[in-house]
Amino acid sequence: MLTVSMTVNGNPVTSEIEDQLLLARFLRDTLGLTGTHVGCDTTHCGCCVVHLNGVSVKSCTVLAAQANGAAVTTIEGVARNGELHPVQRAFHECHALQCGFCTPGMIMAAIELIETHPETLTAETVRDEMEGNLCRCTGYHNIVKAILQAAEEMRAPQSARAGGGTREPTTPELTTGEGG
Amino acid sequence: MYPFNYRAPASLDAAQAAHGAADNAAFLSGGMTLLPALKLRLAMPSDLIDLCGIAELRGISSDGGVLEIGATTCHSEVAAAPLVRRLIPALAGLAGSIADRHVRHRGTIGGSVANNDPAADYPSAVLGLGATVVTSRRRMAADDYFTGLYQTALEQGEFITRIAFPVPQVASYAKFRSLASRFPVAGVFVARTGKQVRVAVTGAGSNGVFRVATFEAALSADFRPEALAGLRIDPQSMLSDQSGTAEYRANLIEVLARRAVSRPGTIQSFK
Amino acid sequence: MRRKEDERLITGRGQFTDDFNLPDQVWAVMVRSPHPHARINGVDSVAAASMPGVLGIYSGADCVADGLGEIPHNPVPSTQYDVKLTARGGGKVFIGSHTLLPTDKARYVGEAVAMVVAATQDQAQTAAEAVAVDFEPLRWVAETAAASAPDAPSVWDELPDNILVDSSFGNVEATDAAFARAKHVVSMTHVIGRVTGVPLEPRAALGWYDAKTDRYTIYAGSGGAVRQKQEFARVLGVEPAQVRIVSLDVGGNFGTRNRAYVEFGLVAWASRKLGRPVKFRAERSESFLTDYQGRDLISEVSLAIDADGRFLAIRASNLSNVGSRCVSLSPLSKGSGLITGSYDIPYATLRSRATYSNTMPTQAYRSSGRPEVTFAIERLIDKAARVLGFDRLDLRRRNLVPPSKMPYQNAVGSTYDSGEYERNMDRLLKLGDWDGAEARRQEARQRGMLFGLGFANYVESSIGSPRERADLIVKPQGVEVVIGTQPAGQGHETSFAQVTADLLGIGFEQVKIVLGDTDIVSAGGGTHSGRSMRHASTVISLAAVDLIEKGKQHAAELFETTADKIDFVDGSFRIAASNHSVDWFELAGLVEKASPDGSNRLWVRRDNEMHTPVFPNGACMCEIEIDPETGGLEITRYSTVDDVGRCINPLIVHGQTHGGIAQGVGQALWESCYIDPDSGQPLNGSFSDYGMPRFDNMPFFKTEIAEVISPTNPLGIKAGGEGGTTPALAVIMSAVEDALAEFGPPEITMPATPLKIWTAIQQARQLNPTGRGNA
Repeated sequence: MLTVSMTVNGNPVTSEIEDQLLLARFLRDTLGLTGTHVGCDTTHCGCCVVHLNGVSVKSCTVLAAQANGAAVTTIEGVARNGELHPVQRAFHECHALQCGFCTPGMIMAAIELIETHPETLTAETVRDEMEGNLCRCTGYHNIVKAILQAAEEMRAPQSARAGGGTREPTTPELTTGEGG
Repeated sequence: MYPFNYRAPASLDAAQAAHGAADNAAFLSGGMTLLPALKLRLAMPSDLIDLCGIAELRGISSDGGVLEIGATTCHSEVAAAPLVRRLIPALAGLAGSIADRHVRHRGTIGGSVANNDPAADYPSAVLGLGATVVTSRRRMAADDYFTGLYQTALEQGEFITRIAFPVPQVASYAKFRSLASRFPVAGVFVARTGKQVRVAVTGAGSNGVFRVATFEAALSADFRPEALAGLRIDPQSMLSDQSGTAEYRANLIEVLARRAVSRPGTIQSFK
Repeated sequence: MRRKEDERLITGRGQFTDDFNLPDQVWAVMVRSPHPHARINGVDSVAAASMPGVLGIYSGADCVADGLGEIPHNPVPSTQYDVKLTARGGGKVFIGSHTLLPTDKARYVGEAVAMVVAATQDQAQTAAEAVAVDFEPLRWVAETAAASAPDAPSVWDELPDNILVDSSFGNVEATDAAFARAKHVVSMTHVIGRVTGVPLEPRAALGWYDAKTDRYTIYAGSGGAVRQKQEFARVLGVEPAQVRIVSLDVGGNFGTRNRAYVEFGLVAWASRKLGRPVKFRAERSESFLTDYQGRDLISEVSLAIDADGRFLAIRASNLSNVGSRCVSLSPLSKGSGLITGSYDIPYATLRSRATYSNTMPTQAYRSSGRPEVTFAIERLIDKAARVLGFDRLDLRRRNLVPPSKMPYQNAVGSTYDSGEYERNMDRLLKLGDWDGAEARRQEARQRGMLFGLGFANYVESSIGSPRERADLIVKPQGVEVVIGTQPAGQGHETSFAQVTADLLGIGFEQVKIVLGDTDIVSAGGGTHSGRSMRHASTVISLAAVDLIEKGKQHAAELFETTADKIDFVDGSFRIAASNHSVDWFELAGLVEKASPDGSNRLWVRRDNEMHTPVFPNGACMCEIEIDPETGGLEITRYSTVDDVGRCINPLIVHGQTHGGIAQGVGQALWESCYIDPDSGQPLNGSFSDYGMPRFDNMPFFKTEIAEVISPTNPLGIKAGGEGGTTPALAVIMSAVEDALAEFGPPEITMPATPLKIWTAIQQARQLNPTGRGNA
């Protein structure tokens, strides 16, 4: 057993846990934040994506212990003062969800993707960068549209955006070849 | 998972001591290789020793034509680092092409190279650039480090601290990704320094990452895709599975080597 | 109209099965067979029982001792218009028993043969590894053709030849005559492999037996809570009223969740034995192994064609692999009724067979049976065009069922209700820019890529459970509609609210749709086969009529007049030419106040039974590029026109089409429940091996909705949930064949992976070294 302390959606949390407890299970079972979902056992599906110190991670493959001292944001912490995040709104407007199971992880992934790409996002970049999230219901078409729409809104002048500040892209686009 | 003790040492000495004190410890870096294995109950370490709290193991620097990357540096950091992008853009590109962005935010070069998964990208760069693997005990040439499928020369309790890449004149990487796992079915890393060209292949060999002597000789004499015309890979020592027969992998290596050479300085990812 | 469901789902407040927890709950993990076929000679749980946290270990013998019943899957489709499948000679289909845990044999890799319950899931898992089952491996057979062969091992002793269904349909004499006089006969044998639904939410169940009330509650996402209540009441040996099923948010279904899973009953039973709630949660690897799987059909088809390209007759022989238990014969039955496709083919014969095998049972999966049968005929027409020198669009046009023949009874007895098939084609060819494809082909060629253009028509059928019930309850704050459908993303809370609001003259926000808890939902047919919109809207329409009548009566009482003096206009009841008016919500408040305890409600219950099927239809085209050096394939364009009848919510229908396309494309290119032929082991047990549609391998879609109103139900609705999948297998393989035309074209089975494509090109080159191809 060990003691972990972290902030989750801005709230400090301290808990005694089993060493092998995964962050996804800590969030769901210990803290009762069931918005983060677990959809697979090989770190593929992305339903479990949360932000760890602002960076998107697959919480099913992170130990809660590894998040000791970190700031974790989950889907429950994304809306501010009852107001939906632009990505949440865009998902709703563009019908980018059906059953909703992949949606929390999808939204967390999309938020981080947009925040780290202050330049214009293309559909191709969105499709490449969202490869770590699976959806079985939508065929991805509307999700791409939602992300592009939200990105445009979030690129609006600094003063109009909550939170401000852009970040360095973490995965730069070097020349890649697709087919021949 | 089977239960284990989690340790988070703050220094190299503490990490070695923790390993010595445990029954059967495994080193934890980003966890993108080890934790999935533990979740599938494929291993049962008594202790996990997290190396990410050790300052010396992180970071990217260069000195006298050698680029050094700390073992616990994550893929996204390598991909974005201006130093790497300037000195060895193909390495930055390779790091930026591993798995998906969430995995890249956690997975590390040390973890990947220590595991030597036959379908990992990094081994081809380490071998292709003739890097030096620096561990807690010694320095090893890449040619000596990779010893077989999932096998490395690392001994019990020994862990990678950093990897030193000699900066080439130019390097490129071309891979073909499996339609399910998205790992390379074959990935070819080509690096040229002066007259010498090294070609390393991952994803395809039944004995792990390997160099292609015939390609290296031809390209050292003439660094053009045409130089590879007629040179074949022997399917005999290729992996064969649902993603590719041995013949298919052999073919991919030929194709990818050509493509890598025809676009030097880039990474190309096909599927 | 945007969805009501979204608010909770985009903020992480959904209620999926694993989100439910009960105090004191414990965990169940299954011990599963590693053998495809083995006798169970004993279950030794001594070592496991003493491990940390273990509370109980149960086997098939314990189920028998407690008198647990078989799951009543009721797999033979039996509504009025279902194609009637029988055993050879017309007898009853042999359905092996499905108890929660088997006592005699394990019949597939992954079959649960014991259950371990422990304080934590990890502890249960570790103990499960220590349970020693005495298996006696038996001869096994997995592959479909092999399972139907004379010397195949018998999955069931009672059915030595494994063939549970062998029915023939159609007019043999007339068909034979047509074949005899035909100028051309074209034949193909299609092997359509097995896939699995992969809903992203792994199945789970939380069972709780409350001794005080003598009731079981099972939280378990499914395709029909009401159905599962009946099924598990039978299994547990209690009255249905003693079982409550709670299935609220469901993370995808696609057919996978339409039948009862043993774990749902096991946790309920274990809860009774242990006096604590018991939870089960499948790992993804368990889902891959033991979710009910889909498709797996061998179809031999022949088409008789005259000199002008008129289709004279069709013969088909279909063999469906149901796996080791018969859970649903829907795919075989649904497909059987549609072998003539969109075409006016006067004569047909069909032999429909089903075989057992030592594999996971199969059942309905997205457009159950129709993608297979569409594949069979559309690919055959492509071949006919190619070998006989017809234009493939032209050959289709001259044979389409014309609108003038609607309703059209096809040669195996299905009556297509309505449709404008040629108009679909024309719209589609324009939408997808068919005429511009040649230029795109040349441009791709310049880049060294092989360009493929695919086309397919489709017609599919939606039958579904014929009964549905709606309760319409007016409360002062809004209208509640209780209905027995079971969505897993189709947006019922939205589209049904639209229909209700429209009928009652109230605001969309004032309607709440209530689903999924059988203590509230008393009856209903669940969701499958595209039935929901049609059945729900029909029964809601009928209920609305009743409710308006009731409202008039209450308003009449209020205004001290008679009901015939009351007009219902725009959601209000009023006496004509007066200002006496009252709306629904005021009326509801008055009704409640009128009762001493405020429990009176202004409400109606309506049941409806509707058997007449509807036939959604459409046309589809796609373009692909193949890299001949690697076999890599990219979809560059995908366009569809879909006739869904009246379309209530286009946003939702397009979304259904998109998702349906992805599942069909997935089967054509990446997905396969592959079984190793030497060991009988399923190999694709994780996302590392099972290829999926992803962001970066799916294109944007161009989808258009056609609305040809169906005469079969008041709102003219057909169905929109499965038309995306129905032509997808055919259209992708049509494009692959077109791209590889210069190499034969070679015959490639789905999934058309890069490996298969490259290998086929190599083989063709070896046979014909002078043939074109790219270096």
